[in-house]
Amino acid sequence: MKTKGCLIAVVAVVLIGIFSVVVWYIKTGNKIVRLDEGVAESWAQVENVYQRRADLIPNLVATVKGYAEHEKTALTDVVEARAKASSVNVNPEKLDAQSLQQFEQAQGNLSSALSRLLVVVERYPDLKANQNFSELQAQLEGTENRIAVERRKFNEVAREYNTYIRQFPASIVANSRGFEKKAYFEAQAGSEKAPEVKF
Amino acid sequence: MRRTLLVITFVLVAAAAFADIFDRPAKVNLVVDNAEAFSRRHAEALRTKLDSFERATTVQIQIYTTKDLYGYDIVDFAQRLGEGWGVGKEGANNGIVIVYMPKTLTENGEVTIQTGYGIEPLIPDAVCKQIVESEMIPRFKQGLIYKGIDQAVDVCISLTQGEFTAEKYIADKAKIDRIAKIIAQCIILFLIIIPSCLFVIYFIVALCLGLFKGYTISSNGSSGGSSSRSFHISSHRSYGGGHFGGGGARGSW
Repeated sequence: MKTKGCLIAVVAVVLIGIFSVVVWYIKTGNKIVRLDEGVAESWAQVENVYQRRADLIPNLVATVKGYAEHEKTALTDVVEARAKASSVNVNPEKLDAQSLQQFEQAQGNLSSALSRLLVVVERYPDLKANQNFSELQAQLEGTENRIAVERRKFNEVAREYNTYIRQFPASIVANSRGFEKKAYFEAQAGSEKAPEVKF
Repeated sequence: MRRTLLVITFVLVAAAAFADIFDRPAKVNLVVDNAEAFSRRHAEALRTKLDSFERATTVQIQIYTTKDLYGYDIVDFAQRLGEGWGVGKEGANNGIVIVYMPKTLTENGEVTIQTGYGIEPLIPDAVCKQIVESEMIPRFKQGLIYKGIDQAVDVCISLTQGEFTAEKYIADKAKIDRIAKIIAQCIILFLIIIPSCLFVIYFIVALCLGLFKGYTISSNGSSGGSSSRSFHISSHRSYGGGHFGGGGARGSW
């Protein structure tokens, strides 16, 4: 009678132990999923603001063309860089260093083509006085700020995710379910400051 | 070695100072005049206007004047301030931050309007730019700081007025409140169930081991009457947790 009671007690304790481990595993897994979703959402926001910039470009190019017809190279550079940047697709599930770098490079090329165009534009006072152009300028400036902000927010969210999945014991769950570390945007020199768009 | 230490200390102190500025203050003060740009009367008038606008619409417009941006770009500073303080309501993200830095002998004056995510569609960047260039800067150039800010605030108010109403916000809030109540009740139920389960298990084990012969179950009378009350809408004003995405415009003179 006594041994039987002991046996039941041991079985009960073991069952409770297994149960709590299972609960812990599920909860940790769910938290990782939630953080992972946060990163994906943040990434969508990043793409969103870059897309916003890309959307401004056709209008900008058209406006500049009207005043500065012979700045062909600067204009085509922007158009080509935009096309290239739009063609780079990043899988939000993955977000590894390589794909992020590709994305960065394409967008960086577009940034520099844009700033070259804006320097060229300096020579056309009529264009600078154009109402449509000054609105575009304000939007472009705001968009560059948004890009800086969303990049920073992405890094913060990705850091939270990375820290969580690499810490023991959550790392066990992350490994068994195949969650991987996300890459960060690199802070370029002076990127704390939003690039200033001057006309 | 000593220099490195010095630098490290400096960086730490500086970092601590930065963290402080962008930490959410406990009390709402919609006109923070660190640069002493307004007379007391003007600051009070502005505060009254902004407070009553907030009561009517829940939109928070934060004015912040400073002589020092602590190395941040003014737009960056305003965005971090808005995000850190949580200007505007959570979910609606209906905050606006206006940061003003006075002109000094050596440096240009700077001003920026930053719009929360929820304000962006109502006051697009181009409109912000327009407000800065035509309402603020011409007046700032004449030294009319209060006038310039006040006019800009009036424009912001007229642009956001129709969209947000306090009733709508409270209705939304009440819905969230109900959900919170249900969750709280679930938690309390859970807290009761687990201890009772443990108690039962302990009881069975103890019974099996024969330690408590003749032990009778006494009803453990736990009552669950203390769950409500804590989740009503607080009338206490606070910064709500609005988010900022970098929309807005800047200007200098």
